Amino acid sequence: MTINGTDLQIAFCGSAGDGTIAVGDILKQAMAMAGYRVIAFDQYPAEIRGFGKCVSRTRVTGEQVYSMKQQTDILVSLDDSHAIPHASEVRDFGAVIYDNAPMSLMAEGEHISGHLQPGQIPYALPIREISERATGSNRGRNMVALGFVAGLYGLQQDVFHTIIARKFKTKPAAVTTDNTAAFDAGFDLGAGEFLFDEISIGEPPAKAKHEARMLSGNSAVVEGCLDAGIEAYFGYPITPATTIMERLVSEMPKRGKRALQTEDEISAIAATIGAGYAGVRSATATSGPGLALMAEMLGLSVMAEVPAVIFVSQRGGPSTGMPTKTEQSDLNLAVFGGSGDAQRIVLAPTNVEGCWRCAGKAFEMAERYQTPVIVLLDLYLSNRYETVVVSPDEQFEPNMSKPMVKGKADEKYQRFATTDDGISPRAIPGQLGGIHTVTGLEHNDMGRPSDQPNIHMDMSEKRHNKLAKAIDHPGITITKRFGDEGDVDVGILAWGSTFGESLEAMMLAREEGIKCAAMKVVMMSPLPEQPITDFMDSASEVLIPELNYEGQFAGIVSGTLGRPVNRLNMVPGTPMRVDDILAEIRKLAGRDKRDAA
Amino acid sequence: MSSAPHLVIIGNGVAGNRAAEILREKDKDCRISIISAGPLLFYNRYELPDVFKGRQDWRDYLENPPEYFSDNNITLRRKSIVADVDTERRKLVLAHREEVSFDQLLVATGGSGYLPERLQETAHLTHQFTTYRSAMGMYRDLPKGGRVVMLGGDMIGLDLARTLIETGYHVTVVPGDRTFWPHEISAEERPKYLSALETMGMEVINHGEVERIEDTTGSAAARRVVFVSGETVAADVVVTQYGLAPMVDFMSTAGVDIERGLLVNPQLKTTRDEIYAAGDVCQIWEQESNGYRFYYGWRNVRKMGEISARNMMGEEVPFETEVDEHLIIKDDGSIDSPFWEYSA
Repeated sequence: MTINGTDLQIAFCGSAGDGTIAVGDILKQAMAMAGYRVIAFDQYPAEIRGFGKCVSRTRVTGEQVYSMKQQTDILVSLDDSHAIPHASEVRDFGAVIYDNAPMSLMAEGEHISGHLQPGQIPYALPIREISERATGSNRGRNMVALGFVAGLYGLQQDVFHTIIARKFKTKPAAVTTDNTAAFDAGFDLGAGEFLFDEISIGEPPAKAKHEARMLSGNSAVVEGCLDAGIEAYFGYPITPATTIMERLVSEMPKRGKRALQTEDEISAIAATIGAGYAGVRSATATSGPGLALMAEMLGLSVMAEVPAVIFVSQRGGPSTGMPTKTEQSDLNLAVFGGSGDAQRIVLAPTNVEGCWRCAGKAFEMAERYQTPVIVLLDLYLSNRYETVVVSPDEQFEPNMSKPMVKGKADEKYQRFATTDDGISPRAIPGQLGGIHTVTGLEHNDMGRPSDQPNIHMDMSEKRHNKLAKAIDHPGITITKRFGDEGDVDVGILAWGSTFGESLEAMMLAREEGIKCAAMKVVMMSPLPEQPITDFMDSASEVLIPELNYEGQFAGIVSGTLGRPVNRLNMVPGTPMRVDDILAEIRKLAGRDKRDAA
Repeated sequence: MSSAPHLVIIGNGVAGNRAAEILREKDKDCRISIISAGPLLFYNRYELPDVFKGRQDWRDYLENPPEYFSDNNITLRRKSIVADVDTERRKLVLAHREEVSFDQLLVATGGSGYLPERLQETAHLTHQFTTYRSAMGMYRDLPKGGRVVMLGGDMIGLDLARTLIETGYHVTVVPGDRTFWPHEISAEERPKYLSALETMGMEVINHGEVERIEDTTGSAAARRVVFVSGETVAADVVVTQYGLAPMVDFMSTAGVDIERGLLVNPQLKTTRDEIYAAGDVCQIWEQESNGYRFYYGWRNVRKMGEISARNMMGEEVPFETEVDEHLIIKDDGSIDSPFWEYSA
């Protein structure tokens, strides 16, 4: 039941205001501090408090994984009305922990005990009463439940104490005291309970050479921005990208940098491009609706060859759509959005560490190729947490501009000159001898407007060809193959957060004897055609799973390469299920579940 | 909510599960719910001594796999304790404050381990052997080859004692009023049966009434049994086996007749038409003795489950035992009991 010694997924489910997300946060921080690898993902309602369901899931492993488990090992109910629909997510012989002494009378079917599957193990405890005894209030219910889990599975009590103290250090001391007391009361109860399940927490992995940090996708983006030396940020809040701005607004002034909330997304992208024009590393962050507003200005960045970095965290769409649900349906907008042939670089990290790396590399690329670079996340990746280990030796280039070099006195500087490496030398406003007019109009190599056919064709080709070099940009993996080498029955091409589930499905398929491989594709534009072609050549069937209705990446791949692919598309608002991908693999490999079993 | 009748069984043992099986056979559409105070699926308690033979995964004791309940549309409510039965409204009130309606009710809660009042204060220093969890608790506390002192020595305990001896442990039996329970042994016959226990490898001591149990953790043995006489016996584990007491407290306001157990007619119906009882919890009217009596053992209990279910479905079948209840001494000098039989 364990993989690599430890593989335990714990879910807390409650109503907004129950402290569900808070207790999940303490759990994942504590497990990371104890040395385990963690991936965690929270789901919460759009409302602030008092409505809607919150679910906090944490998967604890010995080695880093990039997807949540299909079935939860432990479900804790802090609100039965919300937890009941999730009871079936718990595997056979997994634990369901709930309050057996709620405040009021319940009608038949309202208590979770009547909804457990026969194979699940119930742990009924008076959560509210324990909280009241320990703290004088029922507000510690979440901590009682967390303590029970920690006690039941023999987790390190002192590590939780440290994390609780850290979490509430800005609150009055009584908050830490009460939360600790509630935790300890639950811990004692859990430690005295009988553990019916054979699953257990193994020893943490050997200490990594470098410190493991607990980061969400958005916080990794922020770290990447700071490590890359971001100098200016302009943004307008929108779920699920807002936390990028919140953290940058907090961190950048400490480093003498500027972050500004603009009046809307159009201003944000305009200011970002303006700062890029002025030679400043700048970025903005938004979601699909914001990117739609930015599309026109993106064209300016392309045409004027001005660096700009845009972080886009996708959510359910179109329009306002489903702001707190995940989706991968802005790929077409990111790759193609805008007027004209507006070529740009689009990177789509597949995990949290990748968010950090893509963020930093986006600045390098934007400067190097003088183009907008979109880093495409989604809500699942933005909000999920993972333990991340990055070597301090891995650093971003502080400046990758190709600067204007002062030539002979009679030599004219050509801002948009065609050069051997495809990149025009770039002057910064104020630079003596430079050219500082910029326009969205098509222009000649001096930057002067022109609609001559040959100029438009040459400039279009120049803007297109320079991006191809990004495929070989140093220090970033744009595609990577996993699983079986050589010819396989099924090859999975996956991008973004769905790659994690694809990887796990691929590994499970291999355990069933299916020859299978998975390729993650990080660079969505320009498309790395050669490695993708090679991968497709090795697979009898190619599967592209993605969280959008129309198969946007599948459309790009099959349209660009003229190759048939098998699509797996869905828009549930939640991460794709490993089982769904696995079922498709089995089907493509000519096996049904019975054969596999 | 379905309009099909809701048949609720309180108790997740042999009687309750046999009844559920028969009810489903007879009626494919009715709602069947089993309410259980324990956390596990129905398992074979009679085989629990096997934990000392290395069989320690509780799943190995399951009578049915989890999918059996799903496939047969039987709802299991575990860790649910019935606090009250409102017969007028035909509702159960569970301890977690949820009401559950029923059309017919079968009470099959069995019995809990009986403990004499004088020992209740030190109950935490003793073990019982009634559930998987308690069996594992005893297994974990008992060092290999260690010494068990068994107070009482009912037939459940003596079955355990047989296995303990077989697997290398030392067993000392402190006999009492309920030794050999549920067999009723006359004073004249008692010595020969106690002697049989010694033949089976048990040490039988008679120091009179037990006064208390002492915690001697840290010394050679973790417990000490102190007798009123002043004598003492050291033990690694003290297990109490004084028979079972019917679990009927929650039925006190249900409007049915209760003596020690629920009183039922030979059709296992209580004094209310919609409430039946089966297993160790009920006393059945016996014409011959003109009184109510308990019937114990796997075969009796299983049959009660079957009979009660058939009668809930409209039949009028009386319960008749087929078990010869005599305790016997075999040729090798050991005892054997019909209550140790647990398969058809």
